[in-house]
Amino acid sequence: MINLKNLTKIYRTDEIESTALNQVSFEIEKGEFVSIMGPSGCGKSTLLNILGMLDKPESGSYKFMGTEISGLNEKGRSAVRKQNIGFIFQNFNLIDELTVFENIELPLIYNKISASERKKRVNELIDKMGISHRASHFPQQLSGGQQQRVAVARALITKPPLILADEPTGNLDSSHGNEVMELLCELNEAGTTVIMVTHSSHDASYSGRVINLLDGQIVSEKKSNVGQAAV
Amino acid sequence: MFKNYLKVAFRSLNKNRTYALINILGLAIGLTVTILVFLFVNTEMSYDTNWNGYNRIYRAGLKANLMGQQMEGPAAPSPMANALRTEFTDIESASRFEPIKEEILMRNGETKLYIKNNVFADSAFFKVFNYEFIHGDPNTALKEENAIVLNEETAHKLFGDQNAMGQIVNYEDRRDFIVKGIVKDPEGLAHFKFNMFLAQNDINNIWLNNNHMTYLKLREGANFDSFEKEMKANFMKKIEPNIEQFLQTTMEDFFSQNNNFEYTLQPIEEIHLYSRSSFEIQQNGNILYVYVFIGIAILVILIAGINFMNLSTARSGKRAKEVGVRKVTGASKPMLIVQFLTESVIQSLMALLLAFVLVELFLPGFNNVLETSLVLFNDHFVKTLLFALLVTLFYGLFAGSYPAFFLSGFQPIDVLKGDFTKTKGGALMRKSLVVIQFTASTMLIITMIIIFKQISYLHKKDVGFKGEQVIVVPIKTDKMIENFRSFKDVFLANGNVLSVSRAGYFPGDIPSNSVFVLEGREEQMPLWYLNVDYDFMKTLDIKLLEGRGFDQAKEADSISYYILNETAIKNLNIENAVGRRLGEYIDRNGGIKYGNIIGIVKDFHIEGFNQPIRPMVLRISNQANNASFKIAPENMNTTIDFIEKQWNKLEPAHPFRYKFLDEKFGALMKQQENFGTMFLFLTIIAIIISAMGLYGLASYTAEQRTKEIGVRKVLGASVSEIMKMLTKDFIKLVLIANVFAWPISYLLAKDWLSNFSYQIDMPILPFIFATLLALIIAIFTVSTQSYLAANSDPVNALKYE
Repeated sequence: MINLKNLTKIYRTDEIESTALNQVSFEIEKGEFVSIMGPSGCGKSTLLNILGMLDKPESGSYKFMGTEISGLNEKGRSAVRKQNIGFIFQNFNLIDELTVFENIELPLIYNKISASERKKRVNELIDKMGISHRASHFPQQLSGGQQQRVAVARALITKPPLILADEPTGNLDSSHGNEVMELLCELNEAGTTVIMVTHSSHDASYSGRVINLLDGQIVSEKKSNVGQAAV
Repeated sequence: MFKNYLKVAFRSLNKNRTYALINILGLAIGLTVTILVFLFVNTEMSYDTNWNGYNRIYRAGLKANLMGQQMEGPAAPSPMANALRTEFTDIESASRFEPIKEEILMRNGETKLYIKNNVFADSAFFKVFNYEFIHGDPNTALKEENAIVLNEETAHKLFGDQNAMGQIVNYEDRRDFIVKGIVKDPEGLAHFKFNMFLAQNDINNIWLNNNHMTYLKLREGANFDSFEKEMKANFMKKIEPNIEQFLQTTMEDFFSQNNNFEYTLQPIEEIHLYSRSSFEIQQNGNILYVYVFIGIAILVILIAGINFMNLSTARSGKRAKEVGVRKVTGASKPMLIVQFLTESVIQSLMALLLAFVLVELFLPGFNNVLETSLVLFNDHFVKTLLFALLVTLFYGLFAGSYPAFFLSGFQPIDVLKGDFTKTKGGALMRKSLVVIQFTASTMLIITMIIIFKQISYLHKKDVGFKGEQVIVVPIKTDKMIENFRSFKDVFLANGNVLSVSRAGYFPGDIPSNSVFVLEGREEQMPLWYLNVDYDFMKTLDIKLLEGRGFDQAKEADSISYYILNETAIKNLNIENAVGRRLGEYIDRNGGIKYGNIIGIVKDFHIEGFNQPIRPMVLRISNQANNASFKIAPENMNTTIDFIEKQWNKLEPAHPFRYKFLDEKFGALMKQQENFGTMFLFLTIIAIIISAMGLYGLASYTAEQRTKEIGVRKVLGASVSEIMKMLTKDFIKLVLIANVFAWPISYLLAKDWLSNFSYQIDMPILPFIFATLLALIIAIFTVSTQSYLAANSDPVNALKYE
């Protein structure tokens, strides 16, 4: 599904040039659950941003489902992204002015799904996630765990083949954090590819593969039997 | 998707009420000013556009330079209209008329009324101006010698519910007229409004005597330029014999002496705004005011728009996360631009609704100051609404475009990780906008002060006469004119009546001119003459500079005596005037009667301050049909009652009417005063909006720097040091604004002052005062917010993030 070859990303300011990713290469198969770990500043968020097509590499190749992404402009990346990738963030990133229903509905609006179809899909999903009783509430009225569930629902509403999660349990207590991780596992078991950036070994243990980064380079990879979706 | 935008827009406004209020209220005020100015400008530019074929109607005028005296105005000779009708195929019709300036006494049986705004007009009047006739025929109504046409209101006043057609009305106890027509007042506004039309068809065949008004209507399809050329050539031939007869010179010599004489044509729709001659039928508007008000409206909207742009971009950090999320979930940049423009347009439309309410609220005051009768909800409301919507939409899109492009440019990776409350970009743009805003406000303050200084200067200017305590009364009967000298004693019997005199006209009226000859000089001299009596100078306190005043005891009735003003001496280069002889033409054969120049008086104003003082000659004459009474300041009302009682005994047929002379003259200044008041009002509005914007920006800046403030306080900074830190950036911007404002204001003010014949020297104080005022406003506005921020507990600041 994902093929990276010699991917490099350099950040430049007037005075400093820093290499966030240095010739990174790896592949991720469809249905995998992969964790990316490493200390602060190792480049894991940069890698996730490039995988999520939110940023462009300096050089190297990034193929997503056979399509070369690194040469695409923002419009091209946006078109691929909105159909294929759902995002889950550490700080949820819900829009405060929209209700739970409206937050989840947002990707469908941008994918030009009709109002009736949107209503059907959102209602199905919020029932499934157990948050239908909060549909008309605003994010400020929810607990952290509920907000993250809304964020997960929003990421799933377009049924993307790939979920990218950036420290999804970082702002949650352990109980809610486990809930979110179990949710991700369920998704993965159902066939969704999940790539997660985390500091937590506990969270990483839910995944089938762990890639360790240090100073912009892969230093090790570890596989386990957990987190391998049935292909 | 649009529904989503609307939801977010309204919820966002509700969440940030203070800033929403500043934005919407600021824009509403700007739109209110724009709508009021639109109503004013639209009305001013609509004058005379309701006449049928108005774009083919022109007013004839005269432009001449006689011996260095410029004369320009809507004056035409008696035979011109007839010549136009009979000699030019391009003319559909032409009419001659003479407005009657004073009120006239009309009588129908026992009903006696003073009616003002009347005209002597020829039979072609209603062919040029399409009044709607309720009774009578426009083609024939003024054909007969004693015909009169009344408007509905006057007919009702004189005749009640009776049918006025064919009835007799008496004019000034002199003539009877027969009512031959009743008309409705015309639709729309015109540069004249007449209540009665009295027939006057006889023609005085002197082309050099320009004391009528002549209007012509071209045929459809006629070429104006070729007609005008033909007309000018034709009429120059007609005046040639008069020049030879009355000025005793040939045309060739006349023009070779740097004299000039030509007839002009002015489109009727330009008269109200472009014609400022003393001979206008009623006070016209002024195109300069139209331009100034449009300029101010643009400035006010600009200031309100800048507020919007600045506050939106400053607060963009709060929307950054939303932008990131929307982009991540699939929104493209154009979609986000549309979203933010929609929000901007929604705010603008909300402001428009509020603006309409404010317009209705302010309209009575606006009308009161400008002496207009503007109405919002009238036949033209659709036009006003469309204009307002257009401005609102343009504003919403234009002012919203910068924030929309700025916000939609945020990258998700920049905004989604962590708290993006600080807006890194756009600071230079915001500062530039503040500078523009304060440049506009400072310019308005400077020019407002200069306008008021100019008006004040004119108010205090020595007009050359004393008009307080003097009342002017029109004399209506020959009996009063003949016997006025002896009647004076009747009034002077009251000790509070200090002086009684009469004159042909008084300051505030239209002066008359003629051509005189100085003995020993060949050339004719145009002089503005005033018929007076022996007590005129005493009554108006006009200063004698040389020689003596008129003295009945010293002067033989058979000899003429003249007194000149300073300008006559200077402009016409008359040396040793006192004792020399001045002649005036007494008949068409060039006969001259000479009289003695006995004195020179200090200049005094007859016309307003936009005209220079004319070279003038005073002469004793019985043709002085306006009386004046100087009365003591104590118990003025009682004294006026006494005069009225005595007057009514002497002129029982003509009830006593009077005006105070200073009010009569002061009316000439009214338009400028009204303009000054409105300018002040609009300047205050502009300052308020600027201050609102600065307040919003300052409060947001303080909020952004909360952590920094907390840290500084922990490290020992005092409240005043924090306040200084927060205000100094804004002060710099205001000072930069003044660098631009000063030269622009100087040029604008100089240009405005050039419209006055008497003007102040450009003062420096308004510039300094405006800078100080702008600084005070800025410091006050910003330091209010700075003080609150500086006084907050450091611990709250440090917990902020």
